[in-house]
Amino acid sequence: KQFLFHSSSPRKPASLAVLPRRIITSCSAEDKTVVIGLAADSGCGKSTFMRRLTSVFGGAAEPPRGGNPDSNTLVSDTTTVICLDDYHSLDRTGRKEKGVTALDPRANNFDLMYEQVKALKDGVAVDKPIYNHVSGLLDPPELIKPPKILVIEGLHPMFDSRVRDLLDFSIYLDISNEVKFAWKIQRDMAERGHSLESIKASIEARKPDFDAYIDPQKQYADAVIEVLPTQLIPDDNEGRVLRVRLIMKEGVKYFSPVYLFDEGSTISWIPCGRKLTCSYPGIKFGYGPDTYFDNEVSVLEMDGQFDRLDELIYVESHLSNISTKFYGEVTQQMLKHSDFPGSNNGTGLFQTIVGLKIRDLYEQISASRASAAQLEA
Amino acid sequence: LGGHPRLNTPWRRSSFRGRRIRSDVVVVAAAPDRLSDKVEESIKNAQETCADDPVSGECAAAWDEVEELSAAAGHAREKKLEADPLENYCKDNPEVDECRTYDN
Repeated sequence: KQFLFHSSSPRKPASLAVLPRRIITSCSAEDKTVVIGLAADSGCGKSTFMRRLTSVFGGAAEPPRGGNPDSNTLVSDTTTVICLDDYHSLDRTGRKEKGVTALDPRANNFDLMYEQVKALKDGVAVDKPIYNHVSGLLDPPELIKPPKILVIEGLHPMFDSRVRDLLDFSIYLDISNEVKFAWKIQRDMAERGHSLESIKASIEARKPDFDAYIDPQKQYADAVIEVLPTQLIPDDNEGRVLRVRLIMKEGVKYFSPVYLFDEGSTISWIPCGRKLTCSYPGIKFGYGPDTYFDNEVSVLEMDGQFDRLDELIYVESHLSNISTKFYGEVTQQMLKHSDFPGSNNGTGLFQTIVGLKIRDLYEQISASRASAAQLEA
Repeated sequence: LGGHPRLNTPWRRSSFRGRRIRSDVVVVAAAPDRLSDKVEESIKNAQETCADDPVSGECAAAWDEVEELSAAAGHAREKKLEADPLENYCKDNPEVDECRTYDN
């Protein structure tokens, strides 16, 4: 049996895992890594979101070259995305023996997660384990160098308060049960052995742990993308037409929420009419202030789906604070990835907007660090 | 993809000197069919486990395994769909007529 050095006793994982030989100390504070957390259940579109986000920063995100073919990491010029499944403390067999799911905190090593994310934020490369989703084993680690932007995505980015405090921005993808079911049918029905019953049973069996450990994290998120069944079609349960809500926390440093027409008002807007023709069931937008887990938030909502590009540019021109660098950038980003799931509805639109907000946040943090460094000098 | 030398993984060389360096990982990554078998197997296993005790941790863990494997299979299928035959060919043969592209 091979020796895995990251599965050492929980008392002293960090000193081993953080590589002292590779200390790339940041000579000035301005090239410190910005850390973004993305939480969502399995099969809820994290990878699509990640591809949209890395595309906003330009350049393609690819697995580390020449490494483990089953690595979960994606690296681009600016961004490194790591999957938090890599911090499973129990592999598939281990979880089975103990009778715990991957959602259970006991199956995850939060000490190591904290140590390594902190090291990366401080500009120190780490040897991160790889959880192999095909074999269900913990593979030998891979070297992760500190990027400009580190995205940690998975089930528990906001679970542990130490890790949470390291995040410069956090997002939670909140998929309603109806939509989750519809999406998993789309994903799994072609698979041998799966049936409506097995898909349902899998969701049901994981639900207690999901409700206990994953769902509560949304209260800490700076932005929540809620995906719900449409209200435009009565009794729709296909999950093709969606009502998507972007819930943005107020008062977050470097993040000013998007608004529609007039900041702070409550607005319901149907863009279809003389200037825009929409096919059934049309598009409906909503915007307004609200409270979410005792936090003041702004909510932008889109129900329905786009048929054509002119609809999207028309909508984009009525949104403010979207942090674009030129007119039509949202539309251009959406067009670039028209083959991604959700490109014709609110999921793609809001994921793209959040991507632009993160770019803005990153630029503001870098600028403020640069000016702070200048003051010191 | 699976055939690349593992330049970044020196720890493997030290513990597995010689032949057959964890070939199972590579084989599995290249064969989505085996994932399909695994999904099917895990569903059967979950149904059996839950027949005894539908609210046990073992039952939840068994269905969680189904979810994990289904997600992996879904990702593998997506990757396969994305791959354009010509693009793939051109990665290995950039010099042939149908692959050469000049910026200007």
